[in-house]
Amino acid sequence: MQVEVSRRKFLQGSVALSIIGGSSVGVTNLLAGHGEHEAKGELTVTTKTGTGEAKEIATLCEMCVNKCAAVARVENGVVTKLNPNPLFPKSKNMLCPRGNAGIQALYDPDRLKFPMIRVGEKGEGKFKRVSWEEAYDAILNGTDKFPGMGKILEEEKDNRSSFLFCAGEGMAEHTFKTFFSAFGSSNWLNHASLCLQTVVSGYGVTLGGYTAADLENAEYIIMAGANRAEAIVTPDTMDGFKRTKGRGAKLICIDPRFTNTAAKADKWLAINPGTDLAFVLALTYVVLTEELYNKKYVAENFNGFDEYKKSVLDNKYTPEWAEKITGIRAKDIYQIARDFMAHAPKAVYYPGRRSTFANNDFQLRRAMAIFQGLSGGIDTKGGLVFGKKLKLGKHEGLEPIYARAEARAVDKTKIPKKGHAGYSDCAVVSGGGSWIAWRNRFLEGRMPYKVRGMFCYKHNPMMNMPNTEKTAQMLKKMELVVTIDTMPSDTVMYADVVLPECTYLERTDPVKTFGGIEPSIAQRNKVVDPMFETKPVMDIMRGLTEKISKPIFEITKKYDEDVQEELANLGDGEDKKTPAQKEEEVYAEFDLTKPFEHSQEEVNEHMVKSVYGEEAVKALKEHGVFYPNMDKFFKQISVNEHQYYPEKEKAYSVNGGKPKTHSQKVECNLPNLAKKGVDPMPIWKDEYNFSVPEGKFRMLTGRHAQFTQSGTSNNAMLRDLIYENYAWINRRVAEEKGIKFGDTLEISSRTGKTIIKAYPTEKVGPQTIFFVHGFGEESEALTWAYKNGGNDNAVIEDVTEPVYGAASMHETNVEIRRV
Amino acid sequence: MARYGMALDYKNCINCKACEVACKEENGVELGAEKHRIWVGANDVKGEWPLLDIASAAFLPSQCQHCEDAPCQEVCPTNATYYDENHVVRVDSDKCILCSYCMNACPYDARYVDDRTMTVDKCTFCSDTRLARGETTTACQATCPTKVRTFGDLDDPNSEISELLRTREHFSLKAHLGTNPKLFYLT
Amino acid sequence: MKIGPLSIPLKEDFSLKSILGFEKTPVNMLLALSVIAMLVMLVVGIGNYLIHSHHAYNVTRQHPWGLLIAVYIFFVVSSTGFCIVGSLGDVFGFKDFTMISKRAIFGSIVTILAGFTVIAFEIGHPVTMMIYNVLTPGLTSAIWWMGTLYGLYLTFMIIEFYFLLNNDMKKAKIFGLTGLLVGLAAHSNLGSVFGFLNARTISQGVYYPTYFILTAFITGIFLSFIIMGFRYKLNFNEKTKKLLEGLAKIQGLLISILIFFMTWKLLTDMYGGVPTRSDVAHHIIHTAPFWAEVILVMIIPLLVILKDFGKSPVLMFWASLSGMVGIFFMRYNLVHDTQVKPLQMMKIREYQLSPEWIHYFPSASEIMISLGGLGLCILLYYVGTRAFNLDEEEGH
Repeated sequence: MQVEVSRRKFLQGSVALSIIGGSSVGVTNLLAGHGEHEAKGELTVTTKTGTGEAKEIATLCEMCVNKCAAVARVENGVVTKLNPNPLFPKSKNMLCPRGNAGIQALYDPDRLKFPMIRVGEKGEGKFKRVSWEEAYDAILNGTDKFPGMGKILEEEKDNRSSFLFCAGEGMAEHTFKTFFSAFGSSNWLNHASLCLQTVVSGYGVTLGGYTAADLENAEYIIMAGANRAEAIVTPDTMDGFKRTKGRGAKLICIDPRFTNTAAKADKWLAINPGTDLAFVLALTYVVLTEELYNKKYVAENFNGFDEYKKSVLDNKYTPEWAEKITGIRAKDIYQIARDFMAHAPKAVYYPGRRSTFANNDFQLRRAMAIFQGLSGGIDTKGGLVFGKKLKLGKHEGLEPIYARAEARAVDKTKIPKKGHAGYSDCAVVSGGGSWIAWRNRFLEGRMPYKVRGMFCYKHNPMMNMPNTEKTAQMLKKMELVVTIDTMPSDTVMYADVVLPECTYLERTDPVKTFGGIEPSIAQRNKVVDPMFETKPVMDIMRGLTEKISKPIFEITKKYDEDVQEELANLGDGEDKKTPAQKEEEVYAEFDLTKPFEHSQEEVNEHMVKSVYGEEAVKALKEHGVFYPNMDKFFKQISVNEHQYYPEKEKAYSVNGGKPKTHSQKVECNLPNLAKKGVDPMPIWKDEYNFSVPEGKFRMLTGRHAQFTQSGTSNNAMLRDLIYENYAWINRRVAEEKGIKFGDTLEISSRTGKTIIKAYPTEKVGPQTIFFVHGFGEESEALTWAYKNGGNDNAVIEDVTEPVYGAASMHETNVEIRRV
Repeated sequence: MARYGMALDYKNCINCKACEVACKEENGVELGAEKHRIWVGANDVKGEWPLLDIASAAFLPSQCQHCEDAPCQEVCPTNATYYDENHVVRVDSDKCILCSYCMNACPYDARYVDDRTMTVDKCTFCSDTRLARGETTTACQATCPTKVRTFGDLDDPNSEISELLRTREHFSLKAHLGTNPKLFYLT
Repeated sequence: MKIGPLSIPLKEDFSLKSILGFEKTPVNMLLALSVIAMLVMLVVGIGNYLIHSHHAYNVTRQHPWGLLIAVYIFFVVSSTGFCIVGSLGDVFGFKDFTMISKRAIFGSIVTILAGFTVIAFEIGHPVTMMIYNVLTPGLTSAIWWMGTLYGLYLTFMIIEFYFLLNNDMKKAKIFGLTGLLVGLAAHSNLGSVFGFLNARTISQGVYYPTYFILTAFITGIFLSFIIMGFRYKLNFNEKTKKLLEGLAKIQGLLISILIFFMTWKLLTDMYGGVPTRSDVAHHIIHTAPFWAEVILVMIIPLLVILKDFGKSPVLMFWASLSGMVGIFFMRYNLVHDTQVKPLQMMKIREYQLSPEWIHYFPSASEIMISLGGLGLCILLYYVGTRAFNLDEEEGH
C-alpha cells in the first residue's frame, strides 16, 4: 500500500481523536463545523492494492438493495478493494460504482462511532457519547430529556403497540423484525409503500407472483417507467443492454425523460407522466382488435378475458385515443403492439421495480401483466418468469401473545365507527401498510391508542418519504425515538438514543436464498471486525433485550390478564410448580433474549446445514455462494462470461407456462376488488389525465447509477461522480425564463420548498422538471451530503394511491423561481 | 512478454462509471472529480424533446490508449514516460519533473497530476497492482456490469482479444494522428 | 576583481553605496519602489508555492501550462533577442551596432536568469530535472533540447560577456557566434515544443520554431530602445541616434514580415478547414489578448516607424514599451491558445456543460512570481549597470 495517509493511520487517528473528544467534552464531535469538514475530507483516501499477502473474503454488497456478490481484499486488516464475485448467478461477476465505493462507506469519517443519547432539543442534533450499557439504560428508563420504554409501557398498560417499528430494506432487517415480533407491537412499517408495493401486488393478484423478466433471451423488450441503466438491478441491467442497438433484442423505452436507458434503447418515446396505463390499454386494444394475441394461451390460461376484451373495446381505447392522452403517436402504438406480438413469447413488457409514480399504478401493473399474458410469454424462456427458489432451514423466532397489545393502528373498514377515530387510508392493508397514511394519522391525532415510542433501523424517513416537514413533526412528537444506523442521517438527528450499527463489511448477515432462472444461496460474511464501538444488529438486539426483557415482563405481569392467569395456575399433582418455577416457565415465552442467543454465524450454519449439509456451509463461508452442483455446473466460458447452470437446468419454466395465481390463470377481472371500491379491471378514468396548470411543472424524481437514495449520499468516492443533484428543466423553457446552467432555483409546492441548481436540457419536456432523489440532507454531521442539492421529498406532496396507500411520487405540480 | 491491449464493446456501456470507481479503488487514485485515469464520455443529446436523436447519445468509455507511438512518451524530457516490457505506457514517478508536456501532448486527455506525488499519473492497465500479482485482467474489465471490456495480449493469436479483433469490426480514437492506440472500439 | 585566473573589471566605485546612490527623482523612486514591491511579491509567491505546491496555481488537467510558462517564454525570447542584437556589432561586425553589444549581451544574461527563476517554480521537480536530463535524456523531446541548449547558451553568453568586459574581441566573437547559434537552436526548439504537438493542431507545424526567431529579433530591438532610453535618459547623442535609426528600420522590416506571417497563419488556420484548427482560430480572433498583441506589437510600433522611417528615437522608446507589453500578450496567447480547445470534448459528468473553450486566469501566486521575475530582471540589470561599464569602450 502506498499512500501518504494509510487507512491504518486514519483509523488509529480517528479512534484517538474521538476518545479525547468523548472524555473532555460532554457533546461528542459528531457535528463538525465547516472547518472540521475540510479536515475530515483529508482523512478520506483511496488505498492502492498491494502485491503482498492479502485475505480475500466473500461478502454481499449493501450499497443498494440488490445484493451483488463481492470479494473483499484485506491487507493488514484494511479493506483495499472490493471485487465482483464471479460465482453468484444473480450478479454475474459485476460490481457497480456504488459497490466499488463500499470501502468509502466503511471508512467514512462521519460514521456513527459510539452509542449516543440526546442532550439538546429534539432535532437539534446534540448528543452525548455514552457506553452501550448507558444507552440501553436510557432506552429502558429514559433521561431528563425523554421518557423510557418502561414508563411508556407502564402508562400504556403494556400496550406493546404503543411502539412503532420501522426498517429500511437490508439483510439484517430480518433480525430487527425478529425483535419487533418478540416485542409484540403490531405497528410495523417499511419501505414497501414508498417503493414497490403496487408493482408486486399488481403482478401478484394478476399472475400470481412478482415475475422476473428473462432479458437474456427476450427479443423484444418494452421498458416503460423503468430505468435499468441507472437504477441497476441484476441480472436485468447486465442482460438488458448487451443486445440492443440492432444486436438481437429490440428495446423500446417509454419514459417522460430521456434517461440512460433511453440512450441505450432502439426507440425512445416520451410519454406524459402518469399515462402509461392508457398506453398499455391501447396496445391491448390493437392486439385484441387485430387478433394478434396467443389465442390458445388465452383460451387455456385466462380468467375474465371476455369481460376485459369487452371493456377495452367498448371503451374504445384506440391508439388514436391514447395519442391524445399519452403524447405517443398512434402509429407508434400500432407498431409496438404488432412487433411485440410478432416476437412473442420472447417478448417482455418489463415489470420494473420502482416506487409508485401515479395514482393509477396498481391498475397499470394489472394491465401490463394482462398484456404480457396475451402474448403467452409467461413462465417461459425469453418472457416473464417465476424462477425457482432454493429452500433454507428455519430459524426459530419468538412470537409471544400479549393480551394488552392493540391491533395495528389502521381501520380496515372505511366507515368510521362511533367513538372510534375514523380513517380510511386505502382499500387493502397489506404487509407494511401505508407509511404516509400512518404518519399523517399519527400527526393528526387519529390513532385508536397512543403510539409514543419508535425504533428505526437503517431507515431514513426524513429523506425517504414525501413531505419531509410532516416527518419532522412526527419525529418531534414521538416521545422516544431509537435509531440504529451507520450514518448520522437527518432522521438520526431526531433520535433520543442512537445505536451505531457496523457497516455491512463488518458483519455476517442472515443467509439468504435468491430465486430466479438460476437460483442460489448467498451469505454476507464479515470482512473486518467492527470499527469503533459499532456492532451488528444481532449483537445490539442481544444487548438491548438482555437489558429490557425482564423489566418489561414485569409490566406485562402487572397488566396482562392472560399472563396473570397463567402464573396463577400452578398446576396440581406431579405438575405442581412453585410460583418461581411457574414464573420461569411463563417468562420463557416472553424472554426476548432468546432469538438472539446464538451468533449470526451459528444461525446461518444451522439454516444451511439442515438442508444442504456441511459442504454448503463451507462453500458459503469460503465463496459466499452455494447452489446444488455448483462445482459441476459453474464454468468460466470467456473473460466476460460464466456458466452457472447448463441450459437444460435453468428454471425458465416452473409452472408449465401457467400463471401462479390460485386459479392458475391470468386474472383479468377481480370482482373482490370491486367490493373494496377498486376497479376490478384496469380502465382509464378522466382524473388520470395529465395536466399541469399554466406556469407550473410536474415534478419527477428518479435515480442515477451512482447513488442509492440517501444511503450513499455521503460517499466521498461517489461524490466525485455527482457532486450535487441538479434540476432538469427543458432547455427552451429555461431560455425563455433566462435560466442558465448552475443558476440557483427554488422549487416549491404546497408541501414545501427546496433549493437546487438548474440543468437546462432537452432530456425533459416543457411541462416537467426532474431531479434525482436522495440529495440535500440537512444533517450537518454529513460532510458531503449536507445540503448537496435539493431534497425531492421536501417538495413532493403526500399523495397516496387508493389501493395500498403507497406514496405517489409523480402527482405533484411545482413552481420554480430563480433565487 | 506480452503486448497488452483492450477491446471495448462500447455499445454495451450504460455510463454507470463502475470502471472509474474500480480503477480508483484498485490503484489508489487520488480522490477528486478531476483525478481520474479512466472515464466515460457522453454528448448532450441532439434534437428537441420529444424528438431526440438517440444515436447522438452514445456513451464512450475512454482512458489512456496505450499508443504504440505515444506522443506523451516522445515529448518526455527525462524518459519518465516509458513503455514497459508489456508495451504498456507507464510513468516512472521518480523521474517525472512535472513539466506537464505529456499532458499537453496526449491527444486523449489521459493524464493528470497526482497531487500527492506531484507527478503525472495515468492508466497503467493495473500493471503494478493486479498484473503484478499475477492476475490476468484489469479492475475496470472485471467490474463492468455490461461487460464492455476484453483485456489481453495482442501478440497471442489465441487470446480472446486477438480473436475479437480478427472477427469484429473496430476503430481507434483519433487514429489519424498516427498514434496507433491499443484500445479498440468494437462496432 | 580577480576570481582565480579570471579578472572581472568592475567599476571602481562599485559598492552598495553606488547601487543606492541613484538620483532620487520621482521617476527613479517610483521605479525603485516598484522593483522592491515586485521582489516582495516574488518571495510571497514562492512561499505560497512551497506551501501549496501546484495548488497555488490555476493550472488544471485541461490547461496544465499557465502564466509562468508564458513568462518564461517571454524572458527567454527577450534573451535571444538581446543576443541577436548584441551579435550584430560584435559577431557580424556592423560597426554602428557595436556600441550596444556589451549592454545587450548583459541583458541576455539577466533575462534568461529571470526566465530560469520563473521556470524553476513552474517545473514540479527542478532538481530531478537536472539529474535525469543527464542520466536518461529524452532525445525526442523538444523540452530536453530546449532546456539543454539554453543551459549551454547561458554558459556561452557569460563567457562572451567576460571577454567583452576584458575587450578580448576575438574570443568574444568566437563565443558570441557559438552562443548565438546555440541560442537560436534553443529558441527554435522552444518553438518546436509547440510545433511538435500534433494533438494541438493550432500550434502544430513549422510556424512556431521560425516565428520564434523572428519575434525574438523584434523583442531584442524593442528592448534595445528601452535600455538605451534609460541609459541616455531619452537624451540621445548622435551616435546613439544613428544606432537607433538603424534598429528602427530593421524593426520596420521585421514587423512587416511578422504581419505577413501572422496574416497567412491566421487565414490558413481559419479557412483551411482543418478540424480543431479553424474553430480555434476563429475563437482566437474574438479574444481581447489577441488584439492587444496585434495593436501593441504591430500597429503602434509600425506606425511610429513609418512616420519618419525611424528617425524619432524618443517616440520609438515609448512604442517599444508598448511593444514589450504586446510581446507579453503574444507569449501568453501562444500558451493559452495552444490549450484553449479541450482534448476531451465529451461530458464525463452528468451535471456539467459540454466542454467548450477552456478558461484560464492566473492565480495571485502565478502573477506574483511573474512580476517577481520582472523585478529580479530589472534589479540584476541595474546592479550590472553599476558594476560594469556596459558602454562601448572608447577607442574601439
